Amino acid sequence: MGKKDTRVRMSLQTLRVLEAFLENPTQQLAGAEVHQRCGIASGTLYPILLRLESAGWFVSQWESIDPSRAGRPRRRLYRLTSTGLRHAGEVFASFNRGVLA
Amino acid sequence: MSQRNGRSTQTDLSSVPRWLIHQAAGRAPETLSSRLEEEWLADLESRSAAMSRLRFALGCCWATLVIVTDQQRGRVTAASPVAPANGFVTLVDRNFGYFSLRSATLFLIAGLHAALFFGLIATLSHTRSAATPPDLQNHDVRSVPPERVPVTLSGAELNHWTIEVQKPVVESPPRLEISDDVIPDFPDKPGEVISQPLQTDTPSHVVERLAGGPSAGFPETADFYPPPSVRSGEEGMSTVQVCVDRKGRLTSDPTTVKGSGILRLDEAALKLARAGSGHYRATTEDGQPVNSCYAFGVRFQLKK
Repeated sequence: MGKKDTRVRMSLQTLRVLEAFLENPTQQLAGAEVHQRCGIASGTLYPILLRLESAGWFVSQWESIDPSRAGRPRRRLYRLTSTGLRHAGEVFASFNRGVLA
Repeated sequence: MSQRNGRSTQTDLSSVPRWLIHQAAGRAPETLSSRLEEEWLADLESRSAAMSRLRFALGCCWATLVIVTDQQRGRVTAASPVAPANGFVTLVDRNFGYFSLRSATLFLIAGLHAALFFGLIATLSHTRSAATPPDLQNHDVRSVPPERVPVTLSGAELNHWTIEVQKPVVESPPRLEISDDVIPDFPDKPGEVISQPLQTDTPSHVVERLAGGPSAGFPETADFYPPPSVRSGEEGMSTVQVCVDRKGRLTSDPTTVKGSGILRLDEAALKLARAGSGHYRATTEDGQPVNSCYAFGVRFQLKK
């Protein structure tokens, strides 16, 4: 099994998603919440979340609730991994230096 | 009944986003299909407005297309021998296929612009050709004969006086170079009686009147001969009336009394008359120069 490709195509929308998670790196956010924070449309948001997840920057899991008791379906929650946190830090640091390596 | 229909319509509309999400998730890769459908349906519930839900569902359809494209590209990237140097790639490093989604969009936009530009140019050229006036056509315009202005002799001296103009007592005036061309004319021909006295209460007085005319220094006719007339051989005589003060200067603009029949020559005669202001010999009455009006002829004749 080869090493996981952690490259992520960096775009302005991707940066905004990362920024939303970096506000509190330990928090878990559903796609709907990320949309509310970033204002990114669903057509752009979910591919970004999937890219970050497949690159190992995010992990996702189902919300641990009882849908019948909560009265709503369970949501998929995303969270930054340590790898994602490190890479996201590098990305924003390179922006601070004025260079996108 | 109508309430039931309204509710059913509402139900139908609210089910459209769910149906769209179901369709979109069904087109996603098998490993993600059920997960995406559940995730998107759960996120759909956080939206209440119908338009917002519909927009979200349409976005999910678009997201499916992007996810599928990403997966296909991921396979190509995985097969590439070039290893990444960093943990992320920049916008510049993207390795798109020849007809990726963005390239196709770019080509589409460029094509639309080209079509728009072509349509604009075609419309403009059509409009310009329609607005072009027809070729100019030349028509011969007949020269308008000059208006015959009746001779009006100003000055009260001509109204109630019997004027008998005799031949000049003085020696013949110096011969002018233009004497052949400028001919003194009506109404002050020497020796001609113009009118009879109207009032006989006062003793009649015979005034010796010597009509004025061009004098020394008067411009040459040849200098005013219109070149087009010279080229076309036009000749003629124009009679011009001038009003002159005691010093031989014009007191009003000269007028044509009798045209030559050629407008150019008549205008040239008027120019000549204007240019001669100050070089006229004033009319004399009993030897005293007076303001007067008289006419003289200007002959334009080519030398043989």
